[in-house]
Amino acid sequence: MPDLALEGLVHVYREGGVRAVDGVDLHIGAGERVAIIGQNGSGKSTLVRHLNGLLRPTTGRVLVDGVDAAGRTVAQLARSVGLVFQDPDRQIFAGSVRTEVEFGPRNLGLRGDELRSSVEWALAAVGLESDAKTNPYDLGASRRKLLALASVLAMRTAVLVLDEPTTGQDELGVQRVRSVIDDAHGQGRTVIAISHDMRFVAEGFERVVVMHSGRVVLEGAPERVFRRDAWDQLASTFLEPPLPAVIGDRMGLESTPTDAMLIRALSRELG
Amino acid sequence: MLTLEGVSYRYAGATRASLRDVSLTLRDGEVLGVVGRSEAGKSTLCLVVSGLAPRTLGGTLSGRLLIDGRDAAGRAMHDMASDVAIGFQNPGTQLSGVATTVYEEVAFGPMNLGIGRDQVLRRTESSIDALAIRVLVDRDPDRLSGGQQQLVAIAGLLALAPRHLILDEPTAQLDPAGTRLVSDAIRRLAAGGASILIVEQKVDLLAGVCDRVMALDEGRVTLEGQAESVLANPALHALGVAEPSPTRLRRLATEAGVAARTIEVALSRAATEAADA
Amino acid sequence: MLGGIIGPVVVVLIAVVTPALAAGVARDLVRTSLLLTLPIAISALLVNLFFFPGGHQVLLRLGPITATAEGLEFALEILVRIMAISGAITLFYLTTRPQDLVVDLERRGVSARVAFVANASVQTVPAMVERAQQIAAAQRARGLDTEGSLWRRVRGVVPIVGPVILGSIAEVEERTLALEARGFTRPGMRTLLWWPSDSAQQRIARWGLVVALLSLVGARIAGWLG
Repeated sequence: MPDLALEGLVHVYREGGVRAVDGVDLHIGAGERVAIIGQNGSGKSTLVRHLNGLLRPTTGRVLVDGVDAAGRTVAQLARSVGLVFQDPDRQIFAGSVRTEVEFGPRNLGLRGDELRSSVEWALAAVGLESDAKTNPYDLGASRRKLLALASVLAMRTAVLVLDEPTTGQDELGVQRVRSVIDDAHGQGRTVIAISHDMRFVAEGFERVVVMHSGRVVLEGAPERVFRRDAWDQLASTFLEPPLPAVIGDRMGLESTPTDAMLIRALSRELG
Repeated sequence: MLTLEGVSYRYAGATRASLRDVSLTLRDGEVLGVVGRSEAGKSTLCLVVSGLAPRTLGGTLSGRLLIDGRDAAGRAMHDMASDVAIGFQNPGTQLSGVATTVYEEVAFGPMNLGIGRDQVLRRTESSIDALAIRVLVDRDPDRLSGGQQQLVAIAGLLALAPRHLILDEPTAQLDPAGTRLVSDAIRRLAAGGASILIVEQKVDLLAGVCDRVMALDEGRVTLEGQAESVLANPALHALGVAEPSPTRLRRLATEAGVAARTIEVALSRAATEAADA
Repeated sequence: MLGGIIGPVVVVLIAVVTPALAAGVARDLVRTSLLLTLPIAISALLVNLFFFPGGHQVLLRLGPITATAEGLEFALEILVRIMAISGAITLFYLTTRPQDLVVDLERRGVSARVAFVANASVQTVPAMVERAQQIAAAQRARGLDTEGSLWRRVRGVVPIVGPVILGSIAEVEERTLALEARGFTRPGMRTLLWWPSDSAQQRIARWGLVVALLSLVGARIAGWLG
């Protein structure tokens, strides 16, 4: 399983010279679960598109398993890094769920039994097994988003990058995404997710990277990033800590960004 | 007042009805929240209440939609616009696309109604103030953030001077800043006496703004009542709806053996501080 | 000779150049006009200069082909007329804001929907291009090879074009619902907040142009312009 490294990454969009990414150094080890947060325009989407070569650095390097990604095409990088986009309707083109999910692995050369089993596994992971023959547009928006996730899961990449996997999802969809991420993590895959849902981030990721104006302004475990001394910095990027962190702080407890941490701290300190 | 009486609706070409025997009342000045899993019929409900279904979308409607006691069946869509205005979750596609400034965008709706120029201007001005977007009036709507665009869209709806406002997941596609902008605006509108039907997945948002809440499952109304009690109802879990955070924390605290009083103190402290913020 | 070269030149000076100078767009006018007509002008000039039937007065001999004075005169006539037409069109384009034109049309009774389509269609192209780019990115992320052989790239068209079309249609549906919900389909005129102002001078100028046109046509028919 490869690790990923961004070294001095700068990306300037040609039109207007906007420095979408303004010097980022980031190392993500194999098997990590990392959440990237920040307001729209902070550079999150631009950053992750470098991981599979869709965008190339203006300056700096992207290393996949120690090898510079510059020499590999997007199609080649897609073998290692699967990127799921936010809007499933800007991707879905097949007449059936199965055909849609087959697209990715087919492009990677899978055929026959191998292809079939990857597709079955991906469909089961997102709960769409019984809809294999359904037309994607007969599914609701929530399940289409899960379909997009399945279509990349079926590629069995070592790295999974998810651009806002829970935006627009209902509660069941969010839980499903969470279990997909946990399963992938259990298999040793690296999962990187961009998200606006602070609860989803705090509860499911070991590492949080906060971006603002193209730079990483804060990073670490949720306990670090959502600790009281970071709140002003979060506020300047228009983010708020999750509710358990706020409650914990009001009760004078150490950083408690998740439900479990809050409850544990409450029962420990106050009974 | 807006009433649905035993309404069922089936989209054109669909085999099953998306709404089954739904009855609801939305009174003036009241905020009604609608929850349910994806595909439960929430968006369809909004389309039916606004009149777009079946007028623009086709399909079959049975049962009655009454506005102030009058059956809306024979009314054309453009006639419905000044009674019931509907907003959607995608901020970009709601913009008319022909306005070069936010002012023009907000004025677009009233301009269509055939009222006098002075009235158009007055309504535009008051909507802009109601949504606190005065600072945006000269901006190009296409260049605003998602949250700002939603505010402009809602202002545009308010400018129609509708009796009832329908909002279908207004914050679904927004970042936290945008969600905060829009939910604060909705809270202000509600406090100002607007009649709103709002669909949202973010139950915490609903908890802060709704008088009553209704749950839909497979096109039927399964729960209905005062916001606080419906949102705290454990049956919501089976319906695929998230619990409001306070409910969830209370449950977890009880399961962990934390004293009820402790968690109540904790929740109330967080709430008061949030209100001060 | 009036109908020959002098006539069109006068027309160009009065109806195109003078207003252009007054509006301050003379330089842009010349540049755009030239750009538009250069290809036609060059071919018209060459064809008529060298191959004008009935040309006797020889100006230049280039091997088998001959440039004649009659040809030159005819070519110049054509050129000036082309300049008059392209100049007028360019002048209109340079001095009219599309917004003003559309609003004025609506004020005078053209349906709001026509005005809407005129305004909104300009925006569809960039929106579609952006959508296509995003879709291409999503498909490439799933291994679609857009950097390989031509055959591979042709095969890649369907996964890109399909969602572009479907998505555009879906978007049209969303937009239509939003417009209907804001009363756009109400029959009758909308209340306009502003429109370009008209003046007595402009009205006189418009009528003057109509009178001039009719007079010129009449004079031509009567044979006064030769």
